[in-house]
Amino acid sequence: MKSSSGQISAPLPFPDERPRLEHLATIRWGLLASALALAAIGLATVHSASAELGTDFFSRQLVWIGVGLVAMVVSFSFNYHTLLGYSLPLYAVSLVALALVLVLGHEAGGAQGWFRLGSVGLQPSEFAKLVTALYLARYLAAPTTRQLPLKQIFIAVALVGAPMMLIVLEPDLGGAAMFAPMAVGMLLVAGVRPRILLTTLCAGLLALALIWSLGMKPYQRQRVLTFLAPDTDPLGAGYQVRQSKIAVGSGELSGKGYGQGTQSQLRFLPARHTDFILSVLAEEWGFLGVGAVLLLYAAYLANLAAIAMRAQDRAGILLVVGLGSTFSFHVLYNSAMVIGLVPVTGIPLPFLSYGGSFTLLNFIGLGLILGVDFRRFANR
Amino acid sequence: MRVGEHKEALVGRVRILSGVVGIFLAAIAGAFWFVQVVRGTYYRDLAENNRLRKVAIKAPRGSIYDRNGRVIVENLPSYNLLLDRSRAASFDASLKFAAPILDRPLPDLVALLEHYRGLPSFQPVLLAEGLTLDQVARFEVEQLSHPEFVVDVSHRRLYRLGNQAAHVLGYLGEARPEELADPAKDLKSGDWVGRRGVELEYDAKLRGEDGERVVVVDSHGQSVAELDREVGRPGGALTLTIDAGLQQEAERQLAGKAGAIVALDPRNGEILALVSAPGYDPNLFTRRLEVAEWQQLIQDPLLPLQNRALASAYPPGSVFKMVMAAAGLAEGVITPSDGVFCNGAKTFYKRSFHCWKQGGHGFMTLETALKNSCDVYFYELGQKLGIERIARYARLFDFGVPTGIDLDGEKRGLVPDGAWSQRERRHPWYPGETISVAIGQGALLATPMQMATMAAAFANGGYIVTPHLVRGDDSHPPRRIALAPEVFEPIRRGLWRVVNDQGTGASARVAGVEIAGKTGTVQVVAHTAYENSNLRDYEERNHAWFASFAPFVNPTVVIVVFVEHGGQGSHVAAPIAKALYEKLFRPDLGTAPVS
Repeated sequence: MKSSSGQISAPLPFPDERPRLEHLATIRWGLLASALALAAIGLATVHSASAELGTDFFSRQLVWIGVGLVAMVVSFSFNYHTLLGYSLPLYAVSLVALALVLVLGHEAGGAQGWFRLGSVGLQPSEFAKLVTALYLARYLAAPTTRQLPLKQIFIAVALVGAPMMLIVLEPDLGGAAMFAPMAVGMLLVAGVRPRILLTTLCAGLLALALIWSLGMKPYQRQRVLTFLAPDTDPLGAGYQVRQSKIAVGSGELSGKGYGQGTQSQLRFLPARHTDFILSVLAEEWGFLGVGAVLLLYAAYLANLAAIAMRAQDRAGILLVVGLGSTFSFHVLYNSAMVIGLVPVTGIPLPFLSYGGSFTLLNFIGLGLILGVDFRRFANR
Repeated sequence: MRVGEHKEALVGRVRILSGVVGIFLAAIAGAFWFVQVVRGTYYRDLAENNRLRKVAIKAPRGSIYDRNGRVIVENLPSYNLLLDRSRAASFDASLKFAAPILDRPLPDLVALLEHYRGLPSFQPVLLAEGLTLDQVARFEVEQLSHPEFVVDVSHRRLYRLGNQAAHVLGYLGEARPEELADPAKDLKSGDWVGRRGVELEYDAKLRGEDGERVVVVDSHGQSVAELDREVGRPGGALTLTIDAGLQQEAERQLAGKAGAIVALDPRNGEILALVSAPGYDPNLFTRRLEVAEWQQLIQDPLLPLQNRALASAYPPGSVFKMVMAAAGLAEGVITPSDGVFCNGAKTFYKRSFHCWKQGGHGFMTLETALKNSCDVYFYELGQKLGIERIARYARLFDFGVPTGIDLDGEKRGLVPDGAWSQRERRHPWYPGETISVAIGQGALLATPMQMATMAAAFANGGYIVTPHLVRGDDSHPPRRIALAPEVFEPIRRGLWRVVNDQGTGASARVAGVEIAGKTGTVQVVAHTAYENSNLRDYEERNHAWFASFAPFVNPTVVIVVFVEHGGQGSHVAAPIAKALYEKLFRPDLGTAPVS
């Protein structure tokens, strides 16, 4: 067994053993299978949800999935240790991109978070999330004691905080919030004393209070307030939640049938091909459809957890945990949002929602996780 | 091992983390179970409410026909321009496009739109009514660039006779808030209801019942499909007793005058023509009336909205002598052969009462007194009867009570007597007043409609008919007056002589038709001081009456002509009646000139 660990500043002395091809058979392909199943369901639902929209979102999403699969193969092929070696410059580039989008970006839905490249929009915040996960995995990969020292925690929080603040400025609260579960998941697994965790939580709540009073625009506050009392403003911000709940609930046990959802087909449901895609699915396929989707997510996450648990290097475990935490939070938050349990914010559903950057990111993440599993014998 | 001695700890924490996520996922699944399965029915109803909208199918209002089946009121398609603000890219651009087509100044439309501000944007608002086909076409061809404009077809009432028969037909108005609040009326906002005339009286029959369409709408309220349709019941057609041809001739005869004409069938009370002049055009009311137009109608000193045939009461003048004669004969105060000498005046109660003919009529019996309308004969009769008996016989002929015609606003007139004087004037009846009442002057008042039912009783030999405007209404059979048939015969002969024996009604004579009638001229004392001398002259002119029936044997029509401030009955009212009799009985003579 080889030993010694990398220091953050020093080049990573990871052994560069190429994994053998027969290891392919031992990969947890269930991860890929559940992802593909979800993507297929997503594609079908986007088709139904956008039937009444002018744009052909189905074909676009099909292309994005294709691109995503290619990106997945590429990110799978790269040894993630090599990527971790480049993670600092990548992290720096992503911060610059986030800063640039504030100045040059395209505004959509009240937030300036998009780069326009011809007809496609790119969200640097999605890539910042991936790069931050990579860099954080590398940074936390150096084990010193059983628990992380306070200084390392602070630096880790700062590393996550920098892109978060830039995204809050867009302002895209949902996008920024996605960094939190990643950081929490990775820090927890890396080892944080419960006392410190508690303190951080309090600090987080304080930060939330500050954001509420200083960092939020009125419409965002309105959204939160509407969440607390949705029926007071049926045609305003509460409209989305109300229509979504009606869509979900009216699906009942077995749904209205594919393409038969009145809430989505008659355009009552806003953002139905993106953030509220689960409402469309719930309306047309009922609780059985939702249950199947949740089971697929559970299968994806179970495979992911198994990969994390059998990986042999700290960086690999942390990378998988970081990606998995973000993924879990997306799933949990979005599904809670469409039935009005949490405020509406732009958090899409992985593999299901329409969206280029987001689909791409999820497939890249999938490739990285499979890569970790593939190299579990080599990267020790 | 790179993970080092802490590998087990890391795996343990991953396991804990996965467990937490798993619990959350299970909780989410539970929440969906609650929303979809436990509360599913509730949300299904909400979804149905969302997508279904009930749209009224307006029942077309019933058409109105004259007694010969001629259409006099019907519905025409009318095109209204609606603006769906939720589909407008910019109100400014929309209104700039619409203003020149509608030929209306832009600020007007802007103000109109401002007025609708409180309504939800998916509810289309009315921008203009009664578009021409050309205007409709110009909006339709621009549908692609201006999808926010919707042309809606509705029914608009068309009164084919224009301003003729206005007081019979009445007009419509949009339902008022207090009417909408009345559940018995079953009205919806924007419904039109009858306001006057037959439109009011038979509103329930004409209106029908609106149907309903259940349509599927999208989130913009755009209808995408129809689920259910309930056709409702179209308004019932109404066939009037009016003879449009006679009505038009009567209108023509009164054109430019103020007054009323009533023509009815003395056998059953069917009204053949009913004119009140001046009239108005009910078509004005089929759209929202401009304030200026309304002002003009209500400020006209000749009161065009007033139905003079039944909502105005006048002294009956000498026409009342028919009733006086009946009272005299029935009471035995006179006999047909008794005579009175008229030397032009007679003194009663220390006051001299003049006959209309200076120098007098000489020896007069009942028939000649009627024929010449001799005042002195009836002064004496009045004195013999006294006011109480006169009043009793006036009431016997239904003076002082509404005739019961199926129209709104009927007045009861006034039959004065001692009790009335005490009650209303707080002084006793002066005997001299009886002398005035005997020739239909003084406090006695009757509507032209009452005069027609009274004349009908002389035509049909003693039956009071209830005038009505709808065919087949036999709910009010003629009612016999408690008078012997012998009472009517001498009076009828007198009335025949009025027209056919060089009497006062000779100008109503039509060759080949036996007409009987009685003229009346009411002396008017203008009690209002007008600054405008033309108007004062007009106000001081006499009212002209002519009440008549024909043919003399088995009469089929009663015609009463009243011309307000028209002058003498014999010169003004009787020739009008003649024209109408010619129209009815001698169509071969062609159109009579307007006197």
